[in-house]
Amino acid sequence: MTGTNMAGLVGRGEKRTGRLKDLTVRWSFMAPSIVLMVLLLAYPIFYTIEISLTRFDIATFSAGAWVGLDNYREVMDDYRFWDSLWVTLIYLVIALPLQVALGFGIAFLINAEWAGRGFIRALFIIPMVVAPVVAGGIWRMMLDPLWGIVNHWLGFIGIGPLDWFGDPALAMATIIIIDTWRWTPFIVLIATAALLALPKDVFEAAKIDGANWWSTLWSVAIPLLVPVIAATFVIRWLGAVKMFDIVLASTYGGPGKATNVINLFIYEEAFRSLRFAESAAMAVIVLVLTMVLTALFLRGTRALEDRY
Amino acid sequence: MGTVQIRNARKSYGSVEVLHGVSIDIEEGEFVALVGPSGCGKSTLLRMIAGLEEITSGHILIGDRIVNDVAPKDRDIAMVFQNYALYPHKNVRENMAFALRQRRMPRAEIAARVDKAAHILGLEQLLDRKPRALSGGQRQRVAMGRAIVRDPNVFLFDEPLSNLDAKLRVQMRSEIKELHQRLKTTTIYVTHDQIEAMTLADRVVVMNSGVIEQVGPPLELYDNPATLFVAAFIGSPPMNFFEGDLVHGTELVMADGTRLDLPLADPQGRRRVTVGVRAEHFDLADDGWPATVSVVEPTGSETLILARLAGDVVRILIRGRTSVQPGETIHLRPQRSSVHFFDAAPVPEVAQMEDVA
Repeated sequence: MTGTNMAGLVGRGEKRTGRLKDLTVRWSFMAPSIVLMVLLLAYPIFYTIEISLTRFDIATFSAGAWVGLDNYREVMDDYRFWDSLWVTLIYLVIALPLQVALGFGIAFLINAEWAGRGFIRALFIIPMVVAPVVAGGIWRMMLDPLWGIVNHWLGFIGIGPLDWFGDPALAMATIIIIDTWRWTPFIVLIATAALLALPKDVFEAAKIDGANWWSTLWSVAIPLLVPVIAATFVIRWLGAVKMFDIVLASTYGGPGKATNVINLFIYEEAFRSLRFAESAAMAVIVLVLTMVLTALFLRGTRALEDRY
Repeated sequence: MGTVQIRNARKSYGSVEVLHGVSIDIEEGEFVALVGPSGCGKSTLLRMIAGLEEITSGHILIGDRIVNDVAPKDRDIAMVFQNYALYPHKNVRENMAFALRQRRMPRAEIAARVDKAAHILGLEQLLDRKPRALSGGQRQRVAMGRAIVRDPNVFLFDEPLSNLDAKLRVQMRSEIKELHQRLKTTTIYVTHDQIEAMTLADRVVVMNSGVIEQVGPPLELYDNPATLFVAAFIGSPPMNFFEGDLVHGTELVMADGTRLDLPLADPQGRRRVTVGVRAEHFDLADDGWPATVSVVEPTGSETLILARLAGDVVRILIRGRTSVQPGETIHLRPQRSSVHFFDAAPVPEVAQMEDVA
């Protein structure tokens, strides 16, 4: 009896040190990334939240007197903040569906067997590797009202000249075109992979069942792709709310405030007008909005995945 | 009209020909199994009948119509796929109704047909479930339901049971047979499992490397295999083969000098032959071919003995039980009517599927 008890105790003691050792090993492996995360993500976020609740002291470049939600109240009363949120919303509502639809459409086309599709596929990667500021610059030249090549071509079919940067509606179109040029290839890439992974026999079954092109697309292909489309949408959404660089390089928010997306506005308020506390408050609002909307999208995605 | 005629059908992918001129006549209501090792062209042939693969040359007729250029949906066929190929986002009812809806059939008739098929297959309780909420056997049943609601002239099955576990496979096998006896629809069934082919089909087509080796009722293939390949492929346990020279008509001299007395001479009078004897066609006698027992596998109703003869394994299946022990020498006498002669050739390597049957 005693012997077995002793053995049991010894065993348990060994197990305990084993577990401790195991925990140490685990946490020491995770420690570098945890430290990095805290330094690079958590600290700036909490710093932003802190200064958004205070009067920012430019002299010491740190949080000053506590003012509670004063900054938030001020920002909420600022029509320019709402305007730039509205501009961002317009951009998102047009650009995201356009890019997802174009991306899957192009993927569908370049998936068909034809000569030279490898070359075209390679071409599609180029926009992704061009720096956004460079992309903005290239397009600024191409769309230049006086000597840009786009107006030159449009002239041949009797359109224009169009003032791509001067007209408010066209300026928004310009931003969306550049952004779409830059990001559609990314979606093409994901969509191509998704299309290649579709089960062939289901399409053959549809063929035998007598489905025509349209009902194959509508009743078979799209339902099978829904989870991927939804995931792509969420990924692209997370990228698009950060929209800043292309606007900065092409229209700089203009004409007037027609393309003044929220991130550009926050940047301007902080580093031009030096209203750090207010822009911190705006940043926090945008962060919360983004988190809420993303959570909603993810829930929607999951619901769609359950359906399909 | 549910007849299918395949006339000298060929299939090439680029310069590689995979089917070298295949001809089969299938009668109305017949159950035909295409069987052969993987890569023999049986699935390609089935897909050509379905219209999923182009026919490089030759003709395929369904009824009395040449269907070479007819779209799959207009061939009046239904196909059951190996991986079921159910529409994952549609429930069982919608899966079965899809083909009918594509034909703009009235709703009431669709509902009636789906209910009838569901009743036949015992799917009534599952009609509102999605495929992923079904077991493998249930999915297979839904795939069959999707085929039978269309009331086609021909059913095509492409290895429908190979994704199921052994026990379920045997159960579904009898369900398919029962279904065929009930509906009497012409059926072409592709499988690599010779037991499946033997148990299901009215006629079995044995294929190898893009050609037909033999066509016939299952037991005829078993009793009178036309080629060494068919002899090796059909039957479990596999047939025993002995290669050698015939001297004095009935004496077989093997490569290592072993001499075996045969109960009869080769009717074709060849000199070099491969002799085949099925495991159950040996009698244990006091004299005959001496073999050393290595393993005894009793299964109750019969006993399988593995023995060594001239360096090769010989399988002997005897009814009932035996007192034979490993290490013992036994004497085998092949039954007179059951010795098969083939042109001398190495025995084809045929992957034998292990089956519970």
